Amino acid sequence: MNQSIRQKLSGFVIFGAIVAESIVFSVLAPQFASIENLVNVALSIAVIGILAVGMTFIILTGGIDLSIGSVAALAGVVAALVTQHTEIASLGFAAALGIGLASGAFNGVIVAYFRVPSFVVTLAVLTIARGLAFIFSGGRSIGNLPENFGRLGKFVFLGIPFSVWLMILTFAFGWFLLRHTTFGRYVYAVGGNAEAAFLAGVKTKAVVFQVYVLNGFLVGLAAIVLASRLGAGVPNSGLQYELDVIAAVVVGGTSLSSGRGSVVSTLFGAIFIGILNNGLNLIGVDTYVQKIILGVVILLAVLADRFNRPH
Amino acid sequence: MKIKLLFLTLTLLFSFGCNQNAINSNFGAASGNNAVKKRIGVSLLTREDDFYRELEAGLQEAARQNNFELIIQSGDKDLSKQQSQIDNFLVQKVDAIILCPTDTKGIAPAIERANAANVPVFTADIAAGGGKVVSHVASDNTAGGRLAAEYIVKAINSEGIVGIIGQPEVQSVVDRETGFKEVISKNSKITLVPTLNGGGVRDRALKAADDLIQGNPNLKAIFCINDETALGALSSAEARGKNDLIIVGYDAAPEAVAAIKRGSALRADVAQQPRDIGLKAIDAVAKHFRGDKVEAKVSVPVKIVDAETAR
Repeated sequence: MNQSIRQKLSGFVIFGAIVAESIVFSVLAPQFASIENLVNVALSIAVIGILAVGMTFIILTGGIDLSIGSVAALAGVVAALVTQHTEIASLGFAAALGIGLASGAFNGVIVAYFRVPSFVVTLAVLTIARGLAFIFSGGRSIGNLPENFGRLGKFVFLGIPFSVWLMILTFAFGWFLLRHTTFGRYVYAVGGNAEAAFLAGVKTKAVVFQVYVLNGFLVGLAAIVLASRLGAGVPNSGLQYELDVIAAVVVGGTSLSSGRGSVVSTLFGAIFIGILNNGLNLIGVDTYVQKIILGVVILLAVLADRFNRPH
Repeated sequence: MKIKLLFLTLTLLFSFGCNQNAINSNFGAASGNNAVKKRIGVSLLTREDDFYRELEAGLQEAARQNNFELIIQSGDKDLSKQQSQIDNFLVQKVDAIILCPTDTKGIAPAIERANAANVPVFTADIAAGGGKVVSHVASDNTAGGRLAAEYIVKAINSEGIVGIIGQPEVQSVVDRETGFKEVISKNSKITLVPTLNGGGVRDRALKAADDLIQGNPNLKAIFCINDETALGALSSAEARGKNDLIIVGYDAAPEAVAAIKRGSALRADVAQQPRDIGLKAIDAVAKHFRGDKVEAKVSVPVKIVDAETAR
C-alpha cells in the first residue's frame, strides 16, 4: 500500500515537472505552444520512445541493454541493402525486424542461460553490431533507395506522423503486457527478487530470455522508423541512443535497482526529455549548456528515486 | 605444460617475425636509391567516408611517386586511439607523421611528444590546436563557408531568416561557419538564428532541422556543415513538404550530388578536393625532407556544385 502511494507520488512529480517546463518554454518561446510543435516533440521522441519501452522491461528484470543504438544502425543498414537489391521495402523492413530479434535472442541466451552480466554482453554486441554495420555498408550511408522506403517515414494519419502512431501503439502494448498479463507479473517478480520468484515456480530464465527477445523486436521496429525517416541506411546513426533511452527510463522513475517502475512512467520520462531538448533548441540555448542541463536532470531524477525507496 | 608450449611457440614465432622484419628493412636499404625508404606514419580521422577515401588515395599516389612508405591508420574519430597511434609511430621511428586530428585541441600533447622525439608533424584537413606542426594542408574552409553564404544570399534575394546546423567540436567545421557568418552579417535584411548542433551525423541533424524549421516558420535557407547533415535536413524538409527551402551542404558526396540533380531542397554543395589535399600533404613532406622551405599553411581551393555544374 505504502509503496503504491510512493509510486503514484513519483508519477506525480514527473508529471508536474512536464507541466512546469511547458509553462516556462511557452513564455520564453512563442513557437513552443502550438499543435505543430507538440507533434514535432512527439516525432523527436518516437524512436527513443519505442526503444524505451523495451528498455523498461529489461531494467525491470535488473538488466541493461547497451547494444540498442548499434543494433538499430545495423538493422537500418540491412533494411536499406535488402531494399536496394530487391526493390521491395517491406522485405527490407522484415529483415530489420529479423536482425533485431536475432540480436535480442543472442543477448537473451547469454544473459539468461550463461549468466553473464547483461552490461558486458550487450557492450560486446554494441561494438560487434557497429562493426558489422560499417562492413555491410562499406562505411557509407546507403541512400538513393526506391521511393517506398521513405514512404513510411513521411506517412501522416489524422495529422500525426506514422512514427508517432507506432510509438503510441508500442507504449499501449507494453503497458498491457506489463499490467495485465501473467508475463508482466513475472517480469516484476524476477526483478524484485529472482530467487523468490524461482522458488515460487516462475521460470525465471525463460522470462529473462523473452524480455530480451521482446526488446530486440522493438529495436528492429525503431530501426525501421529511423531508417525510413532518414530515407537511408546510415551506419553511424543511433550513436549513444542507449544513453538517451536509459535517461528516459530513469527520469521517468523506473529504478535501476530493479523491480519498480512502469511503462507509463517511461513515457513521461521520454516526453519530459523531448520537451526539454525541443524547448532549449527553440530558445537557442547553447548546445554545450544543453548537455549540462540534461545531466543535472538525470541526477535529480536518481536522487528523487533514492528518497522514494521504501526503507 | 600446454601453456608453456604455447608460450614457447609464440615467442619463437615472434622472434622469427622480428628477424623477418630486419631482413626486409636491410633488403629495402640495399635496393633503395642509396637511402632507406622514408617511412611516414599517417593517422586519418576515419576511413569510413568518401572524403577520407579520396584523401587517402591522394596520399598513396603521391607517396608512390616520391617512393615513400606509408603506414596508414584510422583514428576512428577517437582521440585516445589516435594518441596511441602517434605513440606507436614514435616507437617505430617513422621519418614524419601526417595527422588528421580527431580533436583539434586534445591532440596537442601527442604532437608535443612527436616534437620532443624530433619527428616532423604535418596536419591535413583538420588543424591542431597546439604543438609544433611543420605545415597544415587543408581546404580553405572559411572560403568554403563564404561561398555557401554567397550562394544563399543570391538565392533568397538578400532577405529572410537563415539557419545553420553545425558541429562545434571540429575546428574545420567552425571555420566554415565563421566564413558563412562573415558574409551573412554584411546583409542587414538577413536574420541568422542561433546555430544548432547536428553532431555531423544524419539522425541528429534530422532532429535539429525539425526544431529549426518548426521554430522558424519563415525560414528561407539552412547551411549544413557536411553532407550527412544536409541529407538529414533534407529528410526533415521533405517530410514537411518544404521544397522551397534552400539547403546548402558541404563535401559533394555522391548521394548529395544525386539529391541536387533531382531538384530537391538540397540546392548546392561546397565541394572540397580531398585528393588534392592528400597530394599536397605528401608534397609538403617531400619538400621538408629535401630541406626546402614549406609554407605553414597550404590552402586547397574549394568550389560550388549546383544542379547546373553537377551535370
